[in-house]
Amino acid sequence: MIRFDNVHKTYKTGTDALRGVSFKVEDGEFLFIIGKSGSGKSTIIKLITREEKPTQGFVFVDRFPISKMQRSLIPVLRRHIGMIFQDFRLIESKNVFENIAFAGELVGMPRKKLIQTVDIVLSVVGLRNKAAAMPQELSGGEQQRVAIARAMVNDPKLILADEPTGNLDPQTSESIMALLEEINRNGTTVVICTHDSNLVDRMKKRVIEIEAGRIIRDDMDSGYTVCAVAPHAEGGKS
Amino acid sequence: MSIRAFFNSIREGFQGMLRHPLVTLASISTILLMLLIMSMFIIFSADARHIMKNVGQQPPIEVYMKLNGSEEERAAITKYLSEDKKQVLFFEAATPEQNYNQFKTNLGSSSSILDDFDYNTYLPYTYRVQLVKPSFAGDVVMHLEAFPGVNKVMQEQQVMIFLTKAMNWVNVGTASAFAVLFLISLFIISNMVRISVYSRATEISIMKYIGATNAYIRLPFVVEGAMVGLISAVCAWGITYLAYSKIFTMLMSKVDPGSFYAILPMHSLSTLVLLVCAFSGVLIGAFGSGVSVRKYIQV
Repeated sequence: MIRFDNVHKTYKTGTDALRGVSFKVEDGEFLFIIGKSGSGKSTIIKLITREEKPTQGFVFVDRFPISKMQRSLIPVLRRHIGMIFQDFRLIESKNVFENIAFAGELVGMPRKKLIQTVDIVLSVVGLRNKAAAMPQELSGGEQQRVAIARAMVNDPKLILADEPTGNLDPQTSESIMALLEEINRNGTTVVICTHDSNLVDRMKKRVIEIEAGRIIRDDMDSGYTVCAVAPHAEGGKS
Repeated sequence: MSIRAFFNSIREGFQGMLRHPLVTLASISTILLMLLIMSMFIIFSADARHIMKNVGQQPPIEVYMKLNGSEEERAAITKYLSEDKKQVLFFEAATPEQNYNQFKTNLGSSSSILDDFDYNTYLPYTYRVQLVKPSFAGDVVMHLEAFPGVNKVMQEQQVMIFLTKAMNWVNVGTASAFAVLFLISLFIISNMVRISVYSRATEISIMKYIGATNAYIRLPFVVEGAMVGLISAVCAWGITYLAYSKIFTMLMSKVDPGSFYAILPMHSLSTLVLLVCAFSGVLIGAFGSGVSVRKYIQV
């Protein structure tokens, strides 16, 4: 699904965000990318969505060669990815239904099918009764559920979440992570950048840790810190 | 982009106008003012060209034939003037007798001194020629002078040269004013739309992350700008129509519409003004919006 081959990224300011990062994410995997602020996590997300191009090396996302991709293909790539943000990023002038349907409209989904699909994803995230509500009428957890529903509407192969629980209380965070785990169980690849050590420790998934633009750890069934690794999970990738 | 997405964008464009009514009003007012000035220039230059065309045709070229000229020589000139419709608007031949009578009329009460005048001996056949454009004078005079029976060709050379130059200046002035006003309008509308775009910057970035194409994001703003431009154009046309009709009535109440200094009535300028205003307004609005939104779609 995702392949990074010796990827370097240097911004115009001279900051070396990534220095030779290589990793592979298989279809249907659940991956946490962790690291301190400024370690390069967000740059990885930006490269996957082709917001940025690598300075050196190759990035492939679902057969899209990010390094050599034409600009006109960027929207096509992004329609294959469901994005979830810390600040939810819902369009305030549209209600819940319209926010979710908007993603389907972009791919030209027929009206009838779109209504059905929105109804299904709203049921999955438990907000069927809030379809007519405006985003500002919802709690943080509900807004994030709407964002997840929007990410799901086009049935993407990959869901990318950048600090999805950053603005939520622990209880709501748990439910959001449970939802993402459920989506992953149905075959969707999920990549989450997070600082939430409790969730990472509890979920025991693959963890890639970034520090100063380099991967310092890539472990299966791991936790936020090395000491959190369960004894049965020592067969990590790196 | 699917057809439904396309129509959604159009609908969004109309909604955008109502979303920020004050910005919309300010944009309409700005374009309206520019189009009003543009309309004034269009009318001024159309009137100037009309008057100059008339004036250019007024001082005719006078052709004096030789006194002993033959019928064939006169027939050749008549044939040339009749056939050169591209350059010759009108011509009139006068016999020695007609010239004599005209001369007597000009003398008024003193005309009796010409009673015994033998006009057939001393007065030639003449032609009065009016041209389509003053700039054709040189070519027509050269042709006329080449005919064997022609004694002299008289023309108001300086007036012709002045008129040709003046007409060129009016054309260049109009085109320059149009270009400058167009650029100013474009600059102002693009700044106005920038406010509207800025207030929706977050929405635009969300659309980009979801996979919206640049065209999809840009279209509502372009539609919004084009609509603002069109509304401004119709208002500018309406105001110009009413104002110029009033001015025309005031100025032309005692003037013969056929005289060379008569200005054009509004009904003959109306379509031109509407078309130029509508085209400019829509272009300024759509292009200005398209340019403004560009910066925000590079996500």
